[in-house]
Amino acid sequence: MFADVTANQRSAPEGAPPSAAARAALERFTGLSRDIRGGAVLASGRVLAATGDASAWEAAARELIAAADAAAGESAAEAHVATESGEAFMLRADGLEMVAVADRFTLASLVLADMRATLRELRAAPAVREAA
Amino acid sequence: MQKPHRFVIDRVAGYADEAAAYLRRRRLTRKPSARVYAPGCRGASYPAETEAGERLFQAAAKLIDAARRDSQ
Repeated sequence: MFADVTANQRSAPEGAPPSAAARAALERFTGLSRDIRGGAVLASGRVLAATGDASAWEAAARELIAAADAAAGESAAEAHVATESGEAFMLRADGLEMVAVADRFTLASLVLADMRATLRELRAAPAVREAA
Repeated sequence: MQKPHRFVIDRVAGYADEAAAYLRRRRLTRKPSARVYAPGCRGASYPAETEAGERLFQAAAKLIDAARRDSQ
């Protein structure tokens, strides 16, 4: 289910958490709720881990991040778009970005809180501290 | 003392009001919405009719599509 982007050096910006740590964090996040359909963790717009095709997630995530930034007129902290076919979330925190897709009528505040916790844990991971 | 039939009518009217409020809330929550927060918890809604809203909905649709492809 999870995309392995470890071999993709282009996807690892300097100072970013290792892909393995990002993948583990993403796996924990998707395991928190049955409502989560998928997601991706990015650093500077490059995907570190995704629940599926990394390039597809990267392109879609970058587009949502750009749309949120354009709407906010600055770097958006978070975005929530609820559509008839599902809900899309974007969160930017601790120098990382995360996107997720959930079922309709999911509690947005809970999803965003889980995403925030995921990025915080990822930044606090020992491998990340060593790399920083 | 209140007449018995009035008590029943009041109860039924109360339940009807509750049901109407539930349906109203459900209709509201069913409406597609886009909300973006800038740092400092400053949030704003973007209806689909606006340029920013349209872009957000299009981007969200692509993300939802990426998730759909995961499960296939």
